Amino acid sequence: MGMSDAWLLPLLPAAAFVALTLLGPYLPRRGDWIAVGAIGGVFVLTLLIIADFTDALAVQGEAFAGVANSIQWLEVPGHLELRLGIHVDAVTIVMLAVVSFVGLMVQVYSLGYMKGDSRYGWYYAVISLFIASMLALVLADNFLLLYFAWELVGICSYLLIGHYSHLRSATEAAKKAFITTRLGDVGLLIAIILLWRETGTFNIQEVIAAAEAGQIGTEILTASVVLLLLGAMGKSAQFPFHVWLPDAMEGPTPVSALIHAATMVVAGVYLVTRMLPLIELVAGGPELLLAIGLLTVFLSATMGLVMTDIKRVIAYSTINSLGLMFVALGVGAPAAAMVYLFTHAFFKALLFLGAGSVIHATERQDVSQLGGLWSKMPITGVTFAIGALSMAGLPFLAGFWAKDEILVSLLDNRAAFVLVLVTLPLTAMYMTRVLILTFFGEPRDPESHEHAHEGSPFMTVPLILLAALTLVSGFVVFDQVGKAMGFPGGIGEIIFLERAHSFEFDVAVGIGSTLLVALGIATAWFAWVARPSVPARSLALLRPVHDLWANKYYLDDLYQAVIDRVVLSIARVVAWFDRNAVNDTGVDGPAYATRYAGYLMKFQQTGKLPNYALGMVIGVVTLALVAFSLKA
Amino acid sequence: MTVAQIIFYLIAALAVGGALGVVLARNAVYAALFLILALLAVAGVYILLGSEFLALVQVLIYAGAITVLLLFALMLTRTTDVAESMTGAQWPLAVVVSMLLGGLLIVTVTTSDWPGDADGTITRILFEDLGAALFTQWAVPFEIASLVLFVALVGAIVIAREEEGE
Amino acid sequence: MEAVTQQIPLEHFLALSAILFSLGIYGVLTRRNAVLILMSVELMLNAASINMVAFAAYASPELFTGMIFAIFIITVAAAEVGLALAIILRVYRNRGTANVDEVSDLKW
Repeated sequence: MGMSDAWLLPLLPAAAFVALTLLGPYLPRRGDWIAVGAIGGVFVLTLLIIADFTDALAVQGEAFAGVANSIQWLEVPGHLELRLGIHVDAVTIVMLAVVSFVGLMVQVYSLGYMKGDSRYGWYYAVISLFIASMLALVLADNFLLLYFAWELVGICSYLLIGHYSHLRSATEAAKKAFITTRLGDVGLLIAIILLWRETGTFNIQEVIAAAEAGQIGTEILTASVVLLLLGAMGKSAQFPFHVWLPDAMEGPTPVSALIHAATMVVAGVYLVTRMLPLIELVAGGPELLLAIGLLTVFLSATMGLVMTDIKRVIAYSTINSLGLMFVALGVGAPAAAMVYLFTHAFFKALLFLGAGSVIHATERQDVSQLGGLWSKMPITGVTFAIGALSMAGLPFLAGFWAKDEILVSLLDNRAAFVLVLVTLPLTAMYMTRVLILTFFGEPRDPESHEHAHEGSPFMTVPLILLAALTLVSGFVVFDQVGKAMGFPGGIGEIIFLERAHSFEFDVAVGIGSTLLVALGIATAWFAWVARPSVPARSLALLRPVHDLWANKYYLDDLYQAVIDRVVLSIARVVAWFDRNAVNDTGVDGPAYATRYAGYLMKFQQTGKLPNYALGMVIGVVTLALVAFSLKA
Repeated sequence: MTVAQIIFYLIAALAVGGALGVVLARNAVYAALFLILALLAVAGVYILLGSEFLALVQVLIYAGAITVLLLFALMLTRTTDVAESMTGAQWPLAVVVSMLLGGLLIVTVTTSDWPGDADGTITRILFEDLGAALFTQWAVPFEIASLVLFVALVGAIVIAREEEGE
Repeated sequence: MEAVTQQIPLEHFLALSAILFSLGIYGVLTRRNAVLILMSVELMLNAASINMVAFAAYASPELFTGMIFAIFIITVAAAEVGLALAIILRVYRNRGTANVDEVSDLKW
C-alpha cells in the first residue's frame, strides 16, 4: 500500500454509503458497523500511506515532489483530454491524517450520541459519503475532481445540518449554509473554467507551472485568483460568508465536530494552500487574503464573547481559527497554516464532541441553563477544559505551538501582528467563559443537572483520545519529535519543501502571547467566578456594544434586507416572466396553436374513401413532377 | 407494318376500349362485361409477349372466375343503375389527375432508354420451362401463394358469413 | 426458350400499360360503387402485370421472374377480390348501400 494506491481511500466509505443507502434498513444495527468499519479501514490505510511517505522522504529528501497517479477519463482527440487522478504530497498527508482520524473518532462517538435517532442509518450513510468526498477532495490532482468533491461535501453538509428535518430552524440553517457557500462555489467554478481556457488543462500542478511560466495573462490570472478565493472563503466561512457557520450548529453535534470544525471548513484553507503559488503571482493577492483573515479573526472574536449557545461560541472560535489560517497564508507561511489546521482539527473536534456530550446529558445547550457539571461529568469536563485552553492558547498545548508559529510568521507585518495579539485575550476570555459557565458554579437548571451523567464509552473514549492528541500533537513542530517519528524533521520542514521552515521558538513572542492569554483567562475568571456582578454591570455600561456583537454586527439583518429587497424583487420579475412568457406563452401557446390547427384541419378528414384516394394520387403525381423537374 | 404489329394495335385498342367501358359505363353489369373484354385483350397481349401459359391463366382465372365473382357481388348488393349515382362528385379533378399521371408515365416510357432488342426480339417461354421453374426454383413462393389464397378464402367466409340473430 | 422477332418495340407495351393504369386510377377515383372500384383496381393490376411480362420477355427472361410475378399478381388479385367482396357484402348488409362515399363515419 503505497502513496500511489491512495485512490482506494475514498472508495471505502463511498462503498459504505452505497451499501447503507441500498440495504440500510435490512442490516443489523442499520449498518452502522459498515460505516465505522470503512472509516477504520481508511485510517489503517492512511497509516500505511504515511509510512510510505516517510520512506519516500527519507530516500528522496527535498527532491520529493509528491506522487501522482491518474487514469484517462475521456478524450476528444486533438481537443481535450480529461484525466482523473490523485496527487499525494505532504499537504495531502496532513489532510488525510486529519480526515481519517477525526472521521474515525466522530463515527465512533456517534454510535453513542446518535443512538435511537429515527434516521440513524441515513446519518451514517451521509457521513460516509462526506468522508469519501472529503478524501477525494484532498487527493484530487485536477480541478474537475476537486470541484466535484467540493460540491459533494457541500451537499453532505446541507443534508447533515438539516438532519433534524422536523425543526424548521435546522432546515433553514441547512439552506442558508448551502446557498451561502454556493455563492463562493460559483466563483470557484468560473475560476476553474478560466484557468482551463488559458492553459488547456485541469491538472492543478500543470496549471501552477503554467502560471509560474507566465503563460496566463495578468487580468485573467487576477480574476481567477479572486474567484478562487471566493470559493475558499465560502467554504471556510470567511467574512463576509461567515454567517452560515454559526447557524450550521443546528446539525447533530458530531457533524459539527467533523464537518464544521475539523474537515470541510478547512477545505478552503487547503485550496488556498494548494493555490498559494498562483495567488502570490497576483499583485495584492496575499494582501487580500491577509485582510480577509484579519477581519474574520477580529469579528469572530468579538461576537464569540457574547454568544450564549455553547455550540455557537465554539463555532465562532472556529471562524476565528480559520481566519488565523488565512492570515498565515496571507503572509506566505503555509507551513504555519497547516500546523494550525492539523492541531486545530483535534482540539476543535474535541471541543465539539465535549459540547455534544454535555448536550446529550442535559438536553440543554444554552450556557445560561448549564453549570456545575464538573462533578457530574468529570471526563467530559477535563477533556473540554483541555480543548478550551488549547483554543485559548495556553502554553504547551497544541494550540499554543500552532498559534506561535503564526505569530512568528507575522513578525514582519506589525499591523497584522498587533491585531492578532488584540484578539488573543478575547479568544481566551470567551473560551474560559464557556468553560466556567458550563462546568462550574451553581447549576442554573437543577432539573437537567439532576440526571446529567457521563455518556457511554463510545463517547468518552474518543474524547480521551482527542484530548491526548491535543496535549501532544503540538510538539510535532520540533525537529526532534519529527525525527523520532521517522520524518526528516519537524512538520514545518516537510510540508512545503520549497519553502522549508524549521521551527524557531521566539521566546519574546511566546511569553508575550502567554501573558495576553493569561490576561484573558484572568478577566474571565474575575468576571464570571470572583465577581459575578461584573457581567451585568458591564452589560449596562456597554449595552450598544453588546447589542452590536450579539446581533452579529447586524450582518445577518443586512443580508436578509438585501434578500428581501433585491433578490426577491428580481425573483418576482423572473417569476412573472416565467409564468407569463415562458409558461403561458412559450409552453401553453404552442399547445393551443396545435390544438387550434388540429381543429381547423380536422375537416379535411371527410371520411370519404374517394377523397383519400384522390389525395394519394395527387401526392404521387406531385412527387413524380418534382422528380421530373429535378432531373430536367 | 408487320402482321404482329397489326395484331398488337388491334389488341391494344380492344384493351383500351374495354377499360374505357369499365370506368365509363353507366350500367354496372355492362361495366363488368367490358372488364371481361379488357381482360381477354390483356391475355392476347400475353400471347404476343410469348407467354401462352399466362394468357391461359388470365382467361381462366380473371375473365372466368374473378369476373363471375364480381357479377355475383353486383347481384347481391342490388346496385342501382341510376346514371347520376354511378359517378362521384370529384370526377373533373379525377380526369385531370389521371390524365396527368398517364401523361407522365408515357413521357417516362418514351424518353427513357430501355434495355432489350431494338428489333423487338422477344424470348418465348415454353410451358415446360416455366413449370419446371415454378416447382423447383420458386417452390417456396408458390406454396406461400397457395397459403395466401387459403387464408383469404377462410377470411372471406368468416367475414361474409351471416351470423345467427342477424 | 426460343427467340422470336415481332418488330414491336418494348415501349408500345409499356405505353399500353400506362394507359390502362391511368384509366384504372380514373375509375377508382370516380366510381361510387365499391364493386366497380374493385373492377378498376383489377385494370391497374393488369397494367402492372403487362409491365412485368414485357420486361421479362424483352430484357431478362433468365429466371422467369416476370412471369412468376404475373402469376403471383393473379393469385393475389383472386384473394383480394374474394376478401373485398366479403367486406362489401358485410357493409351492404349493415348499411344498406355499397357506395363508398355514403360510408363516411370515420371522420372528425
